[in-house]
Amino acid sequence: MATLTVERPRTRPAPVRRRKRKRLSPVLLAFVLVPLAVEGFFVFWPAIQGVFLSFTSWDGMTAPRAVGLGNYVEMFSDEIFLSSLWHTVLWLILFGGLSALGGLGMALLLAKERRGVGFYRSALFTPVVFSLVATSLIWQAMYQPDGLINNLLGGLGLESWQHSWLADPDTAMYAVIVPALWRQIGYIMVLYLAGLKGIDPVLYEAATVDGATAWQKFTNITLPQLSSVNSVVLSVIVIDSLRSFDVVWALTRGGPFHSSELLSTYMYSTAFQSLRLGYASALAVVIFVLAFGVIVGYLVRAFREAD
Amino acid sequence: MNNDGLSRRGFLAGIGGLGAATLLGGCATSATGGAGGQTTGAVSIESNLSAPAAKAAMQALIDSFNAKKGTQATLNTIASETFRTQLPSYLTAQQPSDVYTWYVGSVARSYADKGLLLDISDVWQKTSGYSDAVKSLCTDRNGKQVIVPISNYWWGMFYRKSNFAKWGVQPAKSWDEFIALCQTLQGKGVAPIGLGAGGGTPWVASAWFDYLNIRINGAPYHRELLAGEHSFTDPQVKKVFDRWKTVLPYFDKQATAVSFQDATTSLLQGRSAMMLIGTFFADAAPKDQLDDIDFFQFPIIDPSVPVAEEGPTDGFFASARSAHVAGTKEFLAYMATPEAQEVYVKASTSTVLPLNANAKAASTPLVDKGKKLLADAKEITQFFNRDSSDALQPTADTALVKFFDQPGQIDSILTDWQSAAEKIWKA
Amino acid sequence: MKRLRTAAYHTFVGGVSILWLLPIALVLVTAFRTFDDIAQNGVGSLPHSFSLAAFGEAWSAGGENQAMLNSLIVTIPTVIITLLLGAMAAFALSRFDIPFRRTILLVMLGGNLLPPQILLVPVSRLSEVLGIYDTLTALIVVQIGFGLGFYTFVLHGFMRAIPSEIQQAAVIDGAGTLQVFVRIILPLTRPALAALAALAFTWVFNDLLWAITVLKTGTQMPVTPALLGLQGQYVSMWNVIAAGSVIAAIPTVAVFLRFQKHFVSGLAVGAVK
Repeated sequence: MATLTVERPRTRPAPVRRRKRKRLSPVLLAFVLVPLAVEGFFVFWPAIQGVFLSFTSWDGMTAPRAVGLGNYVEMFSDEIFLSSLWHTVLWLILFGGLSALGGLGMALLLAKERRGVGFYRSALFTPVVFSLVATSLIWQAMYQPDGLINNLLGGLGLESWQHSWLADPDTAMYAVIVPALWRQIGYIMVLYLAGLKGIDPVLYEAATVDGATAWQKFTNITLPQLSSVNSVVLSVIVIDSLRSFDVVWALTRGGPFHSSELLSTYMYSTAFQSLRLGYASALAVVIFVLAFGVIVGYLVRAFREAD
Repeated sequence: MNNDGLSRRGFLAGIGGLGAATLLGGCATSATGGAGGQTTGAVSIESNLSAPAAKAAMQALIDSFNAKKGTQATLNTIASETFRTQLPSYLTAQQPSDVYTWYVGSVARSYADKGLLLDISDVWQKTSGYSDAVKSLCTDRNGKQVIVPISNYWWGMFYRKSNFAKWGVQPAKSWDEFIALCQTLQGKGVAPIGLGAGGGTPWVASAWFDYLNIRINGAPYHRELLAGEHSFTDPQVKKVFDRWKTVLPYFDKQATAVSFQDATTSLLQGRSAMMLIGTFFADAAPKDQLDDIDFFQFPIIDPSVPVAEEGPTDGFFASARSAHVAGTKEFLAYMATPEAQEVYVKASTSTVLPLNANAKAASTPLVDKGKKLLADAKEITQFFNRDSSDALQPTADTALVKFFDQPGQIDSILTDWQSAAEKIWKA
Repeated sequence: MKRLRTAAYHTFVGGVSILWLLPIALVLVTAFRTFDDIAQNGVGSLPHSFSLAAFGEAWSAGGENQAMLNSLIVTIPTVIITLLLGAMAAFALSRFDIPFRRTILLVMLGGNLLPPQILLVPVSRLSEVLGIYDTLTALIVVQIGFGLGFYTFVLHGFMRAIPSEIQQAAVIDGAGTLQVFVRIILPLTRPALAALAALAFTWVFNDLLWAITVLKTGTQMPVTPALLGLQGQYVSMWNVIAAGSVIAAIPTVAVFLRFQKHFVSGLAVGAVK
């Protein structure tokens, strides 16, 4: 899924410097190398093959044929690729933006312990533990032409709003974002709750003494104090947006006619329906480069700050 | 100092890893390994028939084979969507399962072309009861048989007899009668034509494309088109969609919003009147309503075009790298017998027809009618994906669903379809 | 005034909660209906029937009983081993001056940013080469490999914040690296481990892609692919599908309720001081 550290080390991070540099104990070496080897074997090795495949044309059955940069060149003239890239950006803005705002908003409302808060938090968080398969089944039932949403609209006298939500290219994309948000907002909320918990109450007390309004407290204390959480949330959102696959695939398969196609679903259908695994690998490389670019950009900055 | 040492070691490890990766890359992409020496053990069968009724029929078939003692077979059922996406990877595995359920026609041939299927010509030599037409469908480019057909079924315009009686309408024979029927039904406040090309089953829309094309341009043109010998931008293809447009207003509003199973429920509930569908839809229908179901032939449009029908044929093929060649062939030989096919037909919902001429189909009025439909046809087509390849199907799904939404954009839809199809044909 | 504000607060937050729970309520209600009822009245109507049959159908005929067992066999060792390996790597990378430790950390995390789809074909071939294709072992090792980078990253951030004096004191007392790890760092990391364990449980338990990549036999499949298979088998029988979804969600909901308070406290680094 994604990152959820909320690290704001107030005590100085203190690796035991210099003293240990001379000789790494075998235990320590094993501590690093064993996990690295495991991941290397099951992730990096296959990934290197994937990159290698992105320079070939391969149907998954006969031997791959080298095509150099052909797959990457093809992308520029592939309208479906370009539109799915645009959808991915749209997804990033809508899904990402709304889940950040919604998550922050709910965290602010539910930060203080009071009656009922435990229940409200649980209600918002419960969807996070559902599998994406279950989520999409649930929402398929919601979106059925005779499903709950249309019936509710009918009950409110809004028959003209009733709709085949997933089958209409104008609404499919948004209809898919809703279940994704349903799962994501609770997750982001927990990240912000943890962040809010770490803010020293003394700051607020001092502000109250100075006669600050709630809004001033929010902009001058809460937001700056949450800056590291914000960066984490940003990278969570970018990664999840770029990798979002299951909900879209299960609900629309990127359809109708590519109107809800994301880079990730396009990559999957290219690989496993069209059996063009070389081109699909090239698409995957693009997704990886985008995700890695964002996260490394953030982490390098974070490390620099920590030093 | 130490730092350098470690980095050099890291570098060397990296090189080693790369070398090994290339080596494994070879494993991942080429079909190495071969039929091992191991010949004992059960023959493994992978089936994509996961609907409860079809699954039970398949189990009955395997049981009847195992009851003959001798070689034993084990059945594994895989959800059909998973099966379809994983089939290439199953077939290229180092130790593949032996036998797979799949389809007769171009689609089997496309796997045979890649050298993935077991040559079972000797099994075919020992069997009897198949027509030459069926045999040629099971033969690859090099004249070798690669698949054993078990059963086929038919597509038709299905409806409920009691509902047609209630509405006072009759099945249509010609296109004009069909239009008139649709108008009458619409006047009664029923959706005349159900489809079910949403919810993960967009491919049912291809049945309309297939039928209109074989009624207007004939089966040979249809096959050539699907093989890439014509273009989807041809005027002949355009004629298909012009004709289709005339009935578009009679399709259920939810044509592309629900799955064909939900569309079936609508049909049985009388919310829609008829539906172009294959007999497999009965698998999902309650048993007590089966007697009330009837169908009529897809209306004739141009009487000068030889009548063709869709008669998709299901069968078994085996992996070229099966470790149990003798047992696999024994199993396939048994599947070709009338005895086995009767077991299968009896255990299924009985709307499938055995392929061996010596095997008896279940005798109900519905099945007799379906059998006659196929027997009277001058040409049999399989279905869009079976007459082309599984990879071409999504291009049709995109184009046809878009046609339902934006029929006015047909020219650009066909251009897009052609360019998407070319990528598949070239791959 | 205060009363009014409290009422407004609970109306709004309660309303959002109800909206959030509505889809779950729909599934629960649907699971207890009969197919005839759904066919006649639609999925979205009020229930006209009550039956437990759908649960029985999903549990035995749909094969969820076996699938549930498989899921637990896979999930429990995967979570334990991944967290252990992740903690080891995080300990070494955060508490010692390992050369290139940041690069190593970034590389490990980088593995998690790969779209998993690119790895599917190579991973399935790799498991074949190792002779573990179509076994639960394959699923366990693959999921360990794929989860490691993320857990290491999270635990690294957490362990970095532990004051170095604690460790130095132990070293002066003669504790070796291993003892420092087991006796001091691990216990201090417990809140984060608990939160991660609960999250890891839901992720591993809910996995679909890896399962269909390295497994083939129906009786080996964990719950999520089984649920997908169930949907293929019982399309439009929404009551069975709903019952299957409810069953599949029980373990993760149970784990979540059990570890609920760790989610927030375990993630707030300030808790360790």
